[in-house]
Amino acid sequence: MNNVLALAGVVIKELYRRKDFYVLFIMTALITMVLGSVKFFNDDRIVRYLKDACLLLIWISSLVIAVTTTARQLPAERESRTIFPLLAKPVSRAQLIAGKFLGCWLACGLALVVFYFFFGAITASREHAWPLGIYFQALWLHWICLGIVVALVLLGSVVFTAPSSNATICFIIVIGIMFCGGHLNGVAVHMGGSSGTILYAIYYSIPHLEWYDVRDFVIHDWGLISWAAWAGATLYGLLYSAFLLGAAWLVFRRKTLTV
Amino acid sequence: MIRPALLLVFVCCVTLATQWAPVFESLEARGGRSGSPLLLLVGDSRRLFANQFFVMADVYFHSGYYPTIFDARKKEGPSHLDVTEQEGGDTARSGRKVVEDDEKFMGTPRDWIERFGRNFFPTVHTHLQGGSAREIMPWLKLSAEMDPHRVDTYVTTSYWLRTRLDKADEAEQFLREGLRANPDSYDILLELGRVHFYNKKDPRGARNIWELALDKWRRQNLAGENPDPHVQEEILGELVRDDQQSGNLKQLLADLEELDKATPRNAVIEKEIQDVKAKLAH
Repeated sequence: MNNVLALAGVVIKELYRRKDFYVLFIMTALITMVLGSVKFFNDDRIVRYLKDACLLLIWISSLVIAVTTTARQLPAERESRTIFPLLAKPVSRAQLIAGKFLGCWLACGLALVVFYFFFGAITASREHAWPLGIYFQALWLHWICLGIVVALVLLGSVVFTAPSSNATICFIIVIGIMFCGGHLNGVAVHMGGSSGTILYAIYYSIPHLEWYDVRDFVIHDWGLISWAAWAGATLYGLLYSAFLLGAAWLVFRRKTLTV
Repeated sequence: MIRPALLLVFVCCVTLATQWAPVFESLEARGGRSGSPLLLLVGDSRRLFANQFFVMADVYFHSGYYPTIFDARKKEGPSHLDVTEQEGGDTARSGRKVVEDDEKFMGTPRDWIERFGRNFFPTVHTHLQGGSAREIMPWLKLSAEMDPHRVDTYVTTSYWLRTRLDKADEAEQFLREGLRANPDSYDILLELGRVHFYNKKDPRGARNIWELALDKWRRQNLAGENPDPHVQEEILGELVRDDQQSGNLKQLLADLEELDKATPRNAVIEKEIQDVKAKLAH
């Protein structure tokens, strides 16, 4: 466990040493503040469009951080050949995968805390309220979602050769699932036949990332999500992440590491 | 060798720029574009954006409860934003009122994933009430920015501004912006007249505007442009209301007779005409 935590610590240090997070955070903050300075029909109590824009930017930024940070972990270690002394420590390949996953996931969590604090502050400046319950639920589900994404990208980084192709493919998969994942069953029913059955099988197999996007609850003040559903989504996300990590380990343990 | 080549390319660029700049300027002037960087960025696709932003206003009006492209949607018909509805019901602190769902676009869940997934997005049909309707305004404003010739946007925005947000001045200013972009729009004039009549308590000003609206409607009708007959009825209806309020029976009779022509065999109007004629006879 110490090895895993040490590896995770290195990844977290990498996040705050690199400029990606700062650039994305400043861009999110700037765009949000520019939008916030706009006044529509002399009404300064309009806030939902601002929440919407800010949360959208947070989602985009967090996905970029999660995918790009994770995609370069193993290829960078291989290219710089630091993976060999690392595995000779001795650190097992399973520990390496777990450490990289934990590091990337925790780094995403830290970034999310900063982003959501900024979101809460901006919202409070207009609404004069801190609905902490729904903020916590939204942040937690967002983090669980990023856990699945990090595990998926880690699996991709042991399958695909280049980090760029891995990142691109993972972005397409994640965005595709978020937009269409929940509707594949309806499309499958309309298609019918064997293609419908295949699509239905895909629908059951893919990670349902769309569950974790609860922006509408936050933007439109719908109140808290059912805690049972929140716990269910958390369990599903953790199990799916574990499955993807297991798959990554299965591929990685037999992989030759020579460049 | 490279330097002269680069210089030549630069000279070519400058020559082309001087050649093409007037052409693009005339194209922009013909298209009636404003110099807004946003509009320049999106180009002619702005009309698509304008429609999308109008839909976004409707999404906000329903607090996120809205069909996606994958859901069965009610065919054609106005969005809820266009429809005048009665105030009332329990709005509580959320600024929402639950309404009876006549669309039920979601249907029953097909499987456990869909059933469970419904915990994570709004599944109750509500409408924003009272002051909360202000939240739709940014999208309507953006829609008008994107397509200044979309008359519906101006009329809808003004309706919400003057009826729910008590912002008659802003409504008038916005309608006048719309009128500058659409000088022949009788819809905008009808709504502008309503701002004067109902909110600014200026019946004379309202009457002048409605008469102008009616005049524009008639001209377009004569020119064979098929103006919306329902709007003519609305304009005449407002003129009749003004006559009733002012007690000008002769004008009321004239307006009622014209309204009768526009909506033939309407028993209520015919009875009203008989009543006014009887009053005039006395």
